[in-house]
Amino acid sequence: MKKTIQIPLGSQHISLLEPIRFKFECENEKIIGVDADVGFVHRGVELACTRSFEFKQVGYVVARVCGLCAITHSLSYTLAVEKLLGYVANDRIKYLRMLMVELDRIHSHMLCLAHTAENAGFEALFMQIMGDRELIMDVQEAISGNRVQFDYISIGGVNRDLTPELVAMIHKNLGVLTSKIDALIGLFDNNWSLSLKYKGVGVLRLEDAYTYNALGPLARAAGLATDVRAETSDFPYEDIGYKMILESSGDIHARNFLRLREIVNSITMCQNIVNNLPVGEIQEKAKGKPNGEAVVRVEAPRGELFYLVRGSGQNMLDRVRIKTPTFSAIPAMIEVFKGAEYADAPAILASFDPCMSCTAK
Amino acid sequence: MRKIETTLTTLLRDIGAFYEAKKWHFLSVNGIDLGEGKIELQWIFSQYGVKDEVVIYYALSDYETPVPSIVTLIPSAFMGEREIVDMFGLSVDGAESGLYLDKDSLAHPLRGES
Repeated sequence: MKKTIQIPLGSQHISLLEPIRFKFECENEKIIGVDADVGFVHRGVELACTRSFEFKQVGYVVARVCGLCAITHSLSYTLAVEKLLGYVANDRIKYLRMLMVELDRIHSHMLCLAHTAENAGFEALFMQIMGDRELIMDVQEAISGNRVQFDYISIGGVNRDLTPELVAMIHKNLGVLTSKIDALIGLFDNNWSLSLKYKGVGVLRLEDAYTYNALGPLARAAGLATDVRAETSDFPYEDIGYKMILESSGDIHARNFLRLREIVNSITMCQNIVNNLPVGEIQEKAKGKPNGEAVVRVEAPRGELFYLVRGSGQNMLDRVRIKTPTFSAIPAMIEVFKGAEYADAPAILASFDPCMSCTAK
Repeated sequence: MRKIETTLTTLLRDIGAFYEAKKWHFLSVNGIDLGEGKIELQWIFSQYGVKDEVVIYYALSDYETPVPSIVTLIPSAFMGEREIVDMFGLSVDGAESGLYLDKDSLAHPLRGES
């Protein structure tokens, strides 16, 4: 029998943004077994949603599940409650909600790419991407009032409208960002540290993507054509230029490149939203109390975010179930690590773009 | 959303007959406390490439009855199964406690009487 050694990665590690611990069983440098511990920041959000807050407040509670994708959490919950109230938002509200979700996707993907650059030892590029990301953070702050944890979406609408000054700012910042992303695409495709080094590393095969129910960019980079934006009819994504982006090699490079291409598509969608914003109120009456059970799926930056809400006509809900993208991606992550070199583990992990705040909720 | 009733006895047979890895995306295992020591367990799926197609298999049970694991059919289900062990104090075949809470935690936050 060959001798193996166990090497931990995390819960605190220089390559990790948030606490997660992998215990790798290694044969020499090769990882042959993986155990994951994801529960370091569990906060009992699901319980709080049914015991401590009324349904009208819960949208602002779930926005605190995650700083990065707060908008998709409050959107998913709000949509579920609106379904139970029998309310359907007008087109202006839908467009404004889509705008915030796509802006969120852009800055979240950029954070992941910056982290990837840092893992590759490309500190200057990390700084540059984080600087460019501010273009979107500034727009989100101007629209919602917050840089993170936006309390923008509420039951029956959104809390702020776009002004002509905001529209001009969105056009200007998206225009600047477009040229920056073009340059990044060149770098990620041609620079040795970001391209060749990561091709063929951390591969998720298409068969394994199906077997382990991969989702989001992790699945699409392996060629699995799944995207909630194409699998739900809650938002008219086909009207604003949405295209499903797919890669096929399933490695680190494919995941990074897919995110870059999704940023380009999200910029186009944001521009189309602003140019074709329907007329209408931004806040409407959604009366009643939630009664029944509703499910909602929204494509967050890391993949499918799922909410199940059950109410019985009271102010307090019976159940709020939150299933986050990273939670579902853990089995596929474990599979990718098996057979990889330990030295590649930080870069592989960064390419998954894990969000532990969401996962532990 | 379609809900299909099953039982813990027939769960593996029902999901085994239903689930095709390239057709259905396994979303989650869920539990809903019904009070008086009862719980509704759910196994949730969506269909690839089809709009708004979500299927929920559900079974009504109590907290004492062991829940069969579906990991042999859907390997990725172990995360959700470990979650309901912690949060509801259920016994699921082969699923360890300690995902979110301490391994020996006596509290099960989403269980009604806790």
